[in-house]
Amino acid sequence: MSVFLYNSNEQRQLRRLPRDLIRARELLRDLVSKNLRVRYRYAVMGFLWAIIEPLALMLVLTFIFTFIFSGRVPVPGQEGTPFAVSLLCGLIFWQFTAAALTSATQSLIDNQNLVKKVHFAREVVPIAATGYPLVNLGIGLVILVGLHLGLGGIIGPSFVYVFVVFSIHLMILVGLALLLAVANVIYRDIGYMVGVAVIFGFYASPVFYPLEFVTRASDLPWYPWLVRLYLLNPMAELLTAYRQVLFEGRFPDLWLLAWPAVLGVCLLAIGAYVSRRVGPTLSDYL
Amino acid sequence: MLVIEAKHVTKVYPARRGTRIMLGRGGLGDWLRGRRTTSFSALRDITLEVAAGESLGIIGRNGSGKSTLLKILAGVTLPTSGEVVVRGRVASLLELGAGFHPMLTGRENVYLNAGLLGMRHAQVDEVFDEIVAFSGIAEFIDQPVDTYSSGMYVRIGFAVAAHTNPDIFLVDEVLSVGDEEFQRKCRRKIGELREQGKTIVFVSHDLGIVNTLCQRVVLLNKGEMVVRDTPQKTINFYLRQVGRDRGVHTFTDGALEAIHCDGRLSLFHRQEEITASLGCQMALTSLGQRHASTDAEWDVTEAGAASCAASGRMTRLPLKLEWRMELAEGKLTWRAAIECEHATDLSLIELILYLPTSYLHWLYGDYAGRFPDILPADAGCNVIVAPEVSARDAAALPAEGAPLPPLLIRVTPHLRHMGLLWANSEYVSFSRLLISYARFPQEDCTFSAGRHDVLTLEIDTSADRARIEERVRAERSVRSGRLSARFELGKVRLAFDDQELTASLHLYSSMFIEHLWHDSFSLQWSPVRSDGRRMTVSGESRRFPFRQEWEIEAVEDGIDLRIYLDAWEPFEAQEYHVSVVIRPEYDHWETDHESGAFPPFDPALSVWKHLNRSYAPGSRAKALSSTLPSVIFEATARDLGFRMTPLNTRPDQNARVLQALRPSEMGALRFEAGRHLYFAGQVRVRPKHET
Repeated sequence: MSVFLYNSNEQRQLRRLPRDLIRARELLRDLVSKNLRVRYRYAVMGFLWAIIEPLALMLVLTFIFTFIFSGRVPVPGQEGTPFAVSLLCGLIFWQFTAAALTSATQSLIDNQNLVKKVHFAREVVPIAATGYPLVNLGIGLVILVGLHLGLGGIIGPSFVYVFVVFSIHLMILVGLALLLAVANVIYRDIGYMVGVAVIFGFYASPVFYPLEFVTRASDLPWYPWLVRLYLLNPMAELLTAYRQVLFEGRFPDLWLLAWPAVLGVCLLAIGAYVSRRVGPTLSDYL
Repeated sequence: MLVIEAKHVTKVYPARRGTRIMLGRGGLGDWLRGRRTTSFSALRDITLEVAAGESLGIIGRNGSGKSTLLKILAGVTLPTSGEVVVRGRVASLLELGAGFHPMLTGRENVYLNAGLLGMRHAQVDEVFDEIVAFSGIAEFIDQPVDTYSSGMYVRIGFAVAAHTNPDIFLVDEVLSVGDEEFQRKCRRKIGELREQGKTIVFVSHDLGIVNTLCQRVVLLNKGEMVVRDTPQKTINFYLRQVGRDRGVHTFTDGALEAIHCDGRLSLFHRQEEITASLGCQMALTSLGQRHASTDAEWDVTEAGAASCAASGRMTRLPLKLEWRMELAEGKLTWRAAIECEHATDLSLIELILYLPTSYLHWLYGDYAGRFPDILPADAGCNVIVAPEVSARDAAALPAEGAPLPPLLIRVTPHLRHMGLLWANSEYVSFSRLLISYARFPQEDCTFSAGRHDVLTLEIDTSADRARIEERVRAERSVRSGRLSARFELGKVRLAFDDQELTASLHLYSSMFIEHLWHDSFSLQWSPVRSDGRRMTVSGESRRFPFRQEWEIEAVEDGIDLRIYLDAWEPFEAQEYHVSVVIRPEYDHWETDHESGAFPPFDPALSVWKHLNRSYAPGSRAKALSSTLPSVIFEATARDLGFRMTPLNTRPDQNARVLQALRPSEMGALRFEAGRHLYFAGQVRVRPKHET
């Protein structure tokens, strides 16, 4: 009986979060699979879109940057990597970030008929929304590795470092997801802001250009400040770190991981705190 | 053990919820105009406890905070202050149907939903078939739920919640949706869950359901708990205090008090409610759709101290119900009429009086009996006396010691096709029903525009209990020494010193017409006229053009029975008989020609068994027993040519029979129009020691 004890005063306690999440693990799985099924339900090609989407985007961008803007900055250590592969690397991780943030932001509103009617740990919903683009990422990663190997690249045991970078990446995303999802319920403005931020982020992150393109020397007097500001975007460091791991086969530069890691821990803490604080009464705003 | 504890629960909502301005709470436009956020308090300091296995009802008007309280108990939102502790697994059905995703199929939603209610997939597999069967939408289970109708939505939602085996079941107004059959199913399921010892918290507008399903009822008004007591007391309080409204009026006279509340009339006698919680209602059926008076919009048009007139506009029919109720000298007079705006087809008008189960005996015209018990398996109404008797008055007697008065009820119909019947309700409503109804045939169901009186119902609470009992008993029987004969719907029961001699079908008659037996107890009998020595009664056939008149007179040691047949058109019968069906203790028989023993019942036999060998006409048959007085059955009208026959009944009827059979010698017995002697004879008894 004590397993199912509900006390309204304990609902906002941070220390109960892990227990609530463990209890809701099956629900988490259901929600992820629900999101996936719903997403491709009425599409004739169904799951194929998960493959077609990033590939098509890659082809478009490759075309643009190979034939239209062809001035390119060489990256030391990655001279052998074709532009298309480097682009795809940036693209799949960026697409993942963008999809996770957009879907997480809307997740509580999309699932309001659950939130309004059943008691469960609200954190599950944004986490599940962050989780389901993982499938697209996985597919993208397979394509990327295949393309890299096919064009003469080498993948060594250092590939596992991807997961180190990725876990930092995920911390940031989950933290943001919790924060944005909850905030969006109360202030629906957040949803629009995230939409704008994702478009902006595509250009403000080294997706179709290397980080060196930004950090190279410039004559502008306030340029170093601009670079520092640019580097506040954790995606700048993370995408570069992914490329270093994949194309140079080494552990990424530590300075690339430091800021995202600190940011990740902070966001996770803030996200968890806010969602615990506001989560239980969210149904009042829906 | 307490499974739900709520301590000083207060809930304040941000104002946006109430006002629903498009700009949203604290929108920039609002802020610039100086409109600051306000709040709305939905619940104020509610303290509540629910013990394991208890069923609690929450009632109140719209906006009284019922649903908010349920949401807080379900853990969907938190109280602004105060504490709620719930021990056990909760299944909640808030605002119809739990969380469904419209694009998922029914099957996927069942799993998702059960998961939300805390079930593992393996556990859902076990009950999945049951869930689908209960919801009754098996053929649509693999369709996305956005193709479902709202009824199907509720069905599947309820089915999931009810089958996840929760300890606590929170239900908000589910029973107001879906068709009647499903509602019944839901009520039965909730009843079952209650019997299984589950805790149920139940929010509803339907006071009847709350009353029958809940042990305690909480009344909320504007977020505050007003009463928490037994269903009856809380509901009465609600009707009197909170329900002061256009459609509500309370009027009294002496010990009687009546409350009209939106199409339901409740009657009280010395503060005790005479009617069951559903009170007295009306229902109209038009084009296959039933419309209850409680669905109408009511206005009290005349609010007197001891009278009340109210008119209720039916929401889906072009007519108004006009009720006039009056209390005087311990009697309620209720006149019901309908006023049609334009011509309307009505196939059935019912007026239903719900009485509590402490009323044990019914009287109907000249017939009486005891209500059977209402069992949990009773899913529908059980008719006890159908209108075989064309009586217009009925009575109900409460159990000895119950604080309720006996009721004498007289119905004066103002329409054709009017009938009256006593019934037991289904298990959930748990009450006795007196239904007076008019069922209109297809060709006679159109009501023209204007006013039509329906009926007048009088409920007399001042009738003397002893007199009702006596009246019923005395008027239907004759006595001759220690023998008494009591007429009961085409059968005569014989008793010797209050020991019944007859059994099963008792003394009755049957005619074989057009290859079927027509029994005397299926005739339509008029009230009995009796003076204690002699009684007469007549019964009219529903199918054939005749009436039987029975005259029963006490003679020495027995009764004299004469039956006349009054035909108004010639008709033919193959044969007929008058039989005395007696108890199985009789073991020997004698006729004019032979004698013998009644053999044991042959279980293989499904017909009555003739025991005589001689088929010559006779006049006398006798049955003997070692314990009971002998019974002598004599046919005195010798020229009619009766054959006296002893028989064994079917084993399941378990009785012996002395029969006077009039066979048709050649062809059929033809009855010309006019009055004929049908049977004349005597039944006499001889106490044991005299034979």
